[in-house]
Amino acid sequence: MMSQVKLTDFALGQGWPNMLKSLEDCPLDEDEEAFQTLAEEDDDIDQFNDDTFGAGAVDDDWQEAHERLAELEEKPTSSGEQEDQTVTDEMDLLGDHEENLAERLSKLVIDNELEDPAIMQAVQTRPLVQQSGGLNSSIWDGPSVLRRITGPLLTQEVPSVSVLEYALPQRTPQAREEEERDVSERALPRRSSSPVIGSPPVRAVPIGTPPKQPTMPNFNQQILCPKPVHIRVPIQQRYPSPFSDSMSPNQLCNVTNSSLLGHPFPPSITPVLTHLQRAQLLGGAQAGRMSPSQFARISGLVSNPLASMDPKLLQGRGGQMMPPAGGFRAFFGAQPPPVPPPQHHPSPCPGAHLQNLRPQPQMFRPDTTHLHPQHRRLLHQRQQQNRNQHRSLNGSAGDRGSHRNSHQERIRKDPYANLMLQREKDWVSKIQMMQLQSTDPYLDDFYYQNYFQKLEKMSAAEEMHGDGPRKERTKLITPQVAKLEHAYKPVQFEGSLGKLTVSSVNNPRKMIDAVVTLRGEEDETKEKQVRDKRRQTLFTIEKTYSLLLDVEDYERRYLLSLEGDRLALMEERKQKICDICDNLRGKMPNQERLSDDPFVQIMCIRKGKRLVARILPFLSTEQAADILMATARNLPFLIKKDAQDEVLPCLLRPFSLILYHLPLGTVASILQQLMNLPQSATVSASTNLHLTAVLQNKFGLSLLFLVLSRGEEVQSADSTSELAQDNQWTELMFMATRELLRIPQSVLAKPVTTPSNLVSLFSRYVDRQKLNVLETKLQLIQGIR
Amino acid sequence: MEKHLVLLRDGRTLIGYLRSIDQFANLVLHQTVERIHVGKKYGDIPRGIFVVRGENVVLLGEIDLEKESDTQLQQVSIEEILEVQRVEQQAKQESDKLKVQALKERGLSIPRADTLDEY
Repeated sequence: MMSQVKLTDFALGQGWPNMLKSLEDCPLDEDEEAFQTLAEEDDDIDQFNDDTFGAGAVDDDWQEAHERLAELEEKPTSSGEQEDQTVTDEMDLLGDHEENLAERLSKLVIDNELEDPAIMQAVQTRPLVQQSGGLNSSIWDGPSVLRRITGPLLTQEVPSVSVLEYALPQRTPQAREEEERDVSERALPRRSSSPVIGSPPVRAVPIGTPPKQPTMPNFNQQILCPKPVHIRVPIQQRYPSPFSDSMSPNQLCNVTNSSLLGHPFPPSITPVLTHLQRAQLLGGAQAGRMSPSQFARISGLVSNPLASMDPKLLQGRGGQMMPPAGGFRAFFGAQPPPVPPPQHHPSPCPGAHLQNLRPQPQMFRPDTTHLHPQHRRLLHQRQQQNRNQHRSLNGSAGDRGSHRNSHQERIRKDPYANLMLQREKDWVSKIQMMQLQSTDPYLDDFYYQNYFQKLEKMSAAEEMHGDGPRKERTKLITPQVAKLEHAYKPVQFEGSLGKLTVSSVNNPRKMIDAVVTLRGEEDETKEKQVRDKRRQTLFTIEKTYSLLLDVEDYERRYLLSLEGDRLALMEERKQKICDICDNLRGKMPNQERLSDDPFVQIMCIRKGKRLVARILPFLSTEQAADILMATARNLPFLIKKDAQDEVLPCLLRPFSLILYHLPLGTVASILQQLMNLPQSATVSASTNLHLTAVLQNKFGLSLLFLVLSRGEEVQSADSTSELAQDNQWTELMFMATRELLRIPQSVLAKPVTTPSNLVSLFSRYVDRQKLNVLETKLQLIQGIR
Repeated sequence: MEKHLVLLRDGRTLIGYLRSIDQFANLVLHQTVERIHVGKKYGDIPRGIFVVRGENVVLLGEIDLEKESDTQLQQVSIEEILEVQRVEQQAKQESDKLKVQALKERGLSIPRADTLDEY
C-alpha cells in the first residue's frame, strides 16, 4: 500500500496532458450524460402528455422511465466487468463484508493502476518521491484500521436512514472514511462553483426525480446541498474549472482512487475527494485562494459537534476528527449523534492515527516573510506554543511550564477557541497583505516610506554620535511585485453580434462608456483668453507644480534606473526644467521678447512664490539669474502685493545661493535693477521711489544686503576684473550707500539677515562720520530684531 | 486568548474575544462588553456576542493584559457611567448649539454630522 501512496505523488506532477487523457478515458461520464438527456427527454414527454391529455392522464410514465433507467444501468459500459463489479459492490456495501471488500480493493487497484495512463507514465518518468505528509497511509494500511473507524459509523448510520439519508447520495464506507480524515485538510471548491451560492445551473433535475445513485457522480456539492430541493450536476467534469489549474479533478480522482486508496469505484463515482485530496496533495499551496466560507461550511460547522467530544481532542484545531455524518447533520440543522472519541477504540497503537490526523506543521506553514518582524516573532512564539501543547497532549516529550499549563487551561475552559483554523487565519492575513503589495511603494505608500527614511536618518545620526546601542527598528516589508500590464480582451466569437459580457474583479463591467476627447491646443488657448487672467495664472502654477514634482522625482528614478537609461533620464529632466522656466516666464513657443507680466502674475500669488522658491535650485545659473533680475525689477510691485502674505522672504535662501554663483557683472546688473536705474548708470533724481520701497521692506532690504555683500566680495577677491565693471560697481555702491544714509531710521525695515562684512564694506565708500551713522543705523536694526 | 478592542464608526468601544474575522474585517466577538469612557472613568456593559460588519470598524487592536491592569482609569458601575455619559453628551450638545448659533450669526454653517455620514 505504501507504494501506491507514492504513486499518487508523482502522478500529480504530470499535470494537464494526462488530465486531458483521463477526461477522455472517463466512460461513465459520457454515459451519465446520455442518461441525463434521456431523463430530460422523459420530462419533456411528460410535459407534452400533460399538456395534451390533462394532468395525471398518463400515470405510469414514471415507472416506465424507471425501468428504462434500470436497463441503462445494466448496459455494459466500456470498462466492462469492472464497472459491474462496482455497481454490485455498492449495492451491498452497507453489509458487513469488509474482508472481501478489502480484498477486492487491492485487486482493483492493480487493474486500475495498469489502466490509468497517468500512472503508467508517471511510473516511467519520475522516481519515487516520498512526500506524503498530508496523506497518512497508516489509516489505509489494513482492514483492521478500516473496521475500527468505519464500524461505529456504519452502525449508527444504517438504522437511521431518514429522508436525509435518502437525499444524500449513497456513499461507501471508504468515502466516509476519507472524508472523516479530510475534514480539516480539505480544500473545497471555489465559491463560484459551490452549488449553494449559485454556480450557473447546468442541468436542473426536477423535484421528485428518483435517486439514481450508482450513476450519479457523487460530488461534494451534492452532499452539501440537500437533494430534494435542487440538484445541479457539477460542471467540473466537462469544463475544468479555473480553479483546477494544476490538475483536473478527474485525473486526480482517477489517480487517487485507483492507486492511493485502492478504491473500487470508477472515477466518476467518487470525485467527492477531488478537492480534498488535491488540497492535501498540493500541500495547501492553493489555500490562499480558497474562501473561508468553504471551510466554514464543513470544518466550521463540524466543530460544533466536536464540542461534545473529549476536550483533549479539541485542542489545536476543531474539526479534524469529525466524522462527516455529524458534520452534515449539523449543516442540515439536525442534532449530531454522539460520537465516541476514537481514543476509546481498542486499537493497537492509540494515538497513532491522532498523530497522523494532526496538521503537519511544515506543510501548511504560511509564508511569513512579508510580515512585520515583530509580528512574525509573535506568530512564531504562538506556533511554538501550539506545537508544545500538541506534544504534551500526546504524552511525549513535553516539559510543562506553568505558563503553558495555564495557557492550556484557558483554552480548555474556552470551548470556542480556535473557531478559525490556522488556514483561515492565514487566508485572511494573506488577503490583507495583498493590499500592501505594490509595484511602486514610493508612490503608493509615500508617507510610510518617508517616515521610515526619516527614522533611519535619525538612527544613523545617533550612531554617528555613538551614544548607546542602536535601537532596533522594525519595518514593515511590503512585498513588491512586478508591474503586470494586461489589457483585457473580451471574448469574441467569429460572426457573433455584439460582445459577450464577461466581468470579473479585474475587468468590471463598464457602466459608463465615456469618451475622452482631447481638445485642440487652439481651443484651449482661446478659452483661456476668455477666462480671466488670474485663473490662467493659477492654472500655470498648477501645471508648473506638476512639472516640478516630476523633476524632483528624477533623482529617485535616476538611482533606480539602469546605467543605459540614465542619459535619457537626464535629457528628460533637462527638458522638463526648461518647460518649467518657460512656464514661469510665460514664454510662448514663438515669442522672442519676454514680458515680465506673466512672472509677476505668478509672483503675486502665494503659491506661486513658494513655487518659485522651490524651483530655483533646479534651474541653471542663467535661468535663475533671469528670475532674480525679474524679481528685482518688479520688486516694489511684488512687495506691495506681498503685504498680506509675507512669504517673499522664503525666496531669500535660494536667491543667496544663486548669488554666490554669479559673476560681478550680473550682480551689478541685479543691483541696478534693484535700484531701478537705467542700464547707463546716470545719476538719478534725488528721490528714488523704487529703492525707497525696497529699503522699507524686509525682503527688499535683505536682498539688497545680500547683493551688496556678494558684489563686494567678488570685487575684492577678483582684482583682474575689468575697469569698466569695477567703476560701475563702485558707482552703484555709492548710490546705495547714499540712499541708505538718506532714509530715516524709522522706515528702514528689519532685514532677515545682515551680512557680517556689511559695515566694513561701506567703509570704502563713506567717510568715518557717515560710517558711524550707518553703523548705528544698521546695528539698531539688528538690535530691534 | 487575547482580548480585542474594537472601535466602531459610531464611536462605541467594544472589548471581547475575537472569534472570527474575514477579509472585510467583519468580526465575531464573543463575551463582548461595551466600554464607555468618560474622563478618567469607565464602565463596562456586558453585551454578549457581537457580529460587526466590517465597514463599521474603525480600529481593531489586541489588548495587552499587563498594560491593561496598571491603567489609571477607574472602573465604575454601569449606572454611574451612563449618568456621567449623559451629562457629558448634554454638555456637548449645548456647546454645539452655541457654536452653530455663533456661526449662523456670521453667516456660516457647518453640515450636520449625520448628513456628512451619507457620503
